[in-house]
Amino acid sequence: MPMKIGTEPFFERVDRSIHDDFMRQAMASAQDRLRGRKLEATVGDDSLIDWELWRNAGEEIRRHTLENLDFYLEQLSESYAARGGHVFFAATAEEANRYIQEVVQKKQAKHVVKAKSMVTEEIGLNEALEAVGCDVLESDLAEYILQIDDHDRPSHIVVPSLHKNKEQIRDTFREKRGYTKSEKPEELAAFAREELREAFLKAEVGITGCNFAVADSGTVALVTNEGNANMVTTLPDTQITVMGMERIVPSWEELDVLVTLLCRSAVGQKLTTYVTGLSPDLEADSVDSPKDYHLVIVDGGRSKALGTEFQSALHCIRCAACVNVCPVYRHIGGHAYGSIYQGPIGAVLSPILGGYEEYGELPYASSLCAACTEACPVKIPLHELLIKHRQRYVSGGGHPKASEKLSMKVFGIGASSPSLFQMAKGMAPAMLSPFTKEKRIEKGPGPMKPWTEIRDFPAPSRDNFRKWFDEHKKKAGDDQ
Amino acid sequence: MKVSLFVTCLSEMFYPHVAKDMTEVLERLNCDVEFPKGQICCGQPAFNSGYLEDAKKAAKQMITAFDGAEYVVTPSGSCAAMFKEYPSMFADDATWKQQAEALADKTYELCQFIVNVLGVEDLGASFPAKATYHTSCHMTRLLGETEAPFKLLSHVKGLELVPLKNNYDCCGFGGTFSVKMVPISEQMVDEKIRHVEETEAEVLIGADNGCLMNIQGRINRQGKRIKVLHIAEILNHQQKGGAEYANENRDGALL
Amino acid sequence: MQGTIQNREGFLNTIAERLGRQRKQSVNKPEWNDQPQFDVYKGATQDQLLDRFKQACEPVHTEVRETSVSELPNQLKETIMDYGSGSIVIGKDQRFVDFGLMPTLKPFDVHEWDIQLGQENIDKAAQANIGISFSDISLAESGTTVFLSDKHKARSINLLPYCSIVIVAKSTLVPRITQAMRIIDQRVKAGETIEPYINMISGPSNSADIEMNLVVGVHGPVKVVYLLVRDC
Repeated sequence: MPMKIGTEPFFERVDRSIHDDFMRQAMASAQDRLRGRKLEATVGDDSLIDWELWRNAGEEIRRHTLENLDFYLEQLSESYAARGGHVFFAATAEEANRYIQEVVQKKQAKHVVKAKSMVTEEIGLNEALEAVGCDVLESDLAEYILQIDDHDRPSHIVVPSLHKNKEQIRDTFREKRGYTKSEKPEELAAFAREELREAFLKAEVGITGCNFAVADSGTVALVTNEGNANMVTTLPDTQITVMGMERIVPSWEELDVLVTLLCRSAVGQKLTTYVTGLSPDLEADSVDSPKDYHLVIVDGGRSKALGTEFQSALHCIRCAACVNVCPVYRHIGGHAYGSIYQGPIGAVLSPILGGYEEYGELPYASSLCAACTEACPVKIPLHELLIKHRQRYVSGGGHPKASEKLSMKVFGIGASSPSLFQMAKGMAPAMLSPFTKEKRIEKGPGPMKPWTEIRDFPAPSRDNFRKWFDEHKKKAGDDQ
Repeated sequence: MKVSLFVTCLSEMFYPHVAKDMTEVLERLNCDVEFPKGQICCGQPAFNSGYLEDAKKAAKQMITAFDGAEYVVTPSGSCAAMFKEYPSMFADDATWKQQAEALADKTYELCQFIVNVLGVEDLGASFPAKATYHTSCHMTRLLGETEAPFKLLSHVKGLELVPLKNNYDCCGFGGTFSVKMVPISEQMVDEKIRHVEETEAEVLIGADNGCLMNIQGRINRQGKRIKVLHIAEILNHQQKGGAEYANENRDGALL
Repeated sequence: MQGTIQNREGFLNTIAERLGRQRKQSVNKPEWNDQPQFDVYKGATQDQLLDRFKQACEPVHTEVRETSVSELPNQLKETIMDYGSGSIVIGKDQRFVDFGLMPTLKPFDVHEWDIQLGQENIDKAAQANIGISFSDISLAESGTTVFLSDKHKARSINLLPYCSIVIVAKSTLVPRITQAMRIIDQRVKAGETIEPYINMISGPSNSADIEMNLVVGVHGPVKVVYLLVRDC
């Protein structure tokens, strides 16, 4: 399961993460910086008139596109093929990998360079290519760092190496690549530039993901800062783009809005350094463009969300704005989610793509504070989708604890019967008095136990508001 | 103006003095305050845990209880937001949906009601202390109320209100989250308390007893000396005139 | 040459089925309710856009040298010297002739892109110190230069060399990405075949992947300088 990270149970991952001081500090400071930059570039930028209008525009475009997805994908495949490109629709990860293996084998290619792509992580493409004898090199700096560190996994969808510090990176470079300089980011990056430049020049195949495909022009839009995607799409002779099937816009008109939303929300930049529109090249005598173009469109479980209450999860443009404001992510980091998709969108998406068996805990790893919903540039109601997952989970999709089911039943009965509630309220102080000292409970029984593991519980008040209110009213009446 | 109190189950169980303070504040603002006896719990614990059917039972009880109300006012942004959620729960039941919408439309959180409906900001309260304020997530994000509490507190005599770093981050309560995800909740509330301590405030004020129960519970466990108060308690803290009302018959649990 | 399409029907049928309807043969794209993009710097004059463009360059670590049409050759020469001259690569682009820059470039070690030479072009570009190119459309909001690259104005020129010198004519300034994409959109709708590589570049390549520290110059150019020509 390439989407899955690690095999430990959820709470063990959480436990390990919250004891990783560097990682925690890195997550918190990254969040604070990314959040600040995003605010400055969005609600704080007066030239945009009103950021809410942009969010509305983004939402409307995404909704329309997903509602008509079959049409736009058909249009994309026609326009891409009309320019000489080859389109392969892959219902599953296996189909996508098999097709790409065949392309690479037909070229007798040995060297593949990749630009950062979540969907290729999701389908486990690197392993598939290595299995047919290819040498695959990640060219995004963060992905490169992870790859040479024995294939460490991403902890953030935009900055995958966020959990590593520069000393760790230096040591990895030394050990694996014979690096001799210091832990200064400039020197580390310069070293990677040299190493990768050679790789770009000798690679036969370049593989990228796709930020947005433009349906009517047959274009793949790539949004990056490092320029590695440009290298990957310039030097190798064969170009393969892998896209999640929902990453599509009708035309360049909508691309404008979505690129604006993406750059500003992800990194707080007006535009990233490179925004590139790549379309298959008809001109055979062009020197520095690939000769052969392939577009692999992956379903991989996405269609399960269509026509359901989760359809809007497919509106996601992978900016990680929700991740950057999530207080849970802040404390447990990316790896604890056990999925390459972390944070609120990861908690929504992973169970859709990978099922409740693997990812059933994730929808509960949220306090429903709605910071994600507020941050999302295309207005996905993320916290509401988390509740919908919980509804599905308890009504047959997953395995809720029997005790929880029972207590909710009791809740339902209690919460619809004033007399029962009053009786319980009246009895509570006495029932809990053995556990109570100085008006607080430090070790609660039954369902109170997890609460009192870390905090005190207030002792139920013996005071009765209803009684007070009646007397208070009566007194006010008497006074008049 | 007739106001129906929705005091919340947490207040009734643990913080009746907050309900009393709220009553007195509203009465002083010439509201005709009533307490519908059929009210229990808004159903949020069940709803947020995915138990829609059980939550609906609670919702129906509340819709019925507040049927005749003109305004429904509650000392909790989170519970007010839950009322606003009711119409979505009855999407396939036109009768209940209509009633749910009527209830949602007339429901206000306390600060919101005072500032936006009554148009009052200065309640003549006095509370000489250095304090900071916890902006609850549901109040700010689901109700969209970010200003009313600050307007009210700005008029409280003697109160020095200092900003709280990362005030937008959740305190780690999240209803059942606090018991289902204990280790994560613990980290969240600890960071919140660290930020509160950094302000050197003596008092932490909030407008939601859920958050306050969580923060206060952790503060007590750690033996720290920060007072945690609901905003209704501050607003009902009168210098004069209101003295006969204030602190009448107080037997609070923790706050 | 027409490309191929595989596995499409079943894939799209599944989508339509999930969406609970038949496959769509046509879609009427609505007029979007909110279009704030057209109001950004609406009605700004070319001079205002010029100011905005210059302001936007600083945060993207790009030096701007403003010049006139007549001064451009000298300014280019000076800039080349300041950035260490060495080997230079340029595209086969009529604008070098139109702006009278060929004599200026002559004394330097310049390689002009020539598709007849094949791979040699790439080798030259990869070793070059400087690449010189013209911005086709320039975006005031973000300090961005847009390149509609083709086989003669090759994409390698502003990608592989260590420094990228870009000549930005004031007449090419538009408010933002909106206007650039609209130009492209209209060409697509008119049935034109757009360039295979449309690159919008804002400054030198960079990365914040190591502890969120900004490093300027990763895979693309390490330095970018704009020669802003007041041609209108």
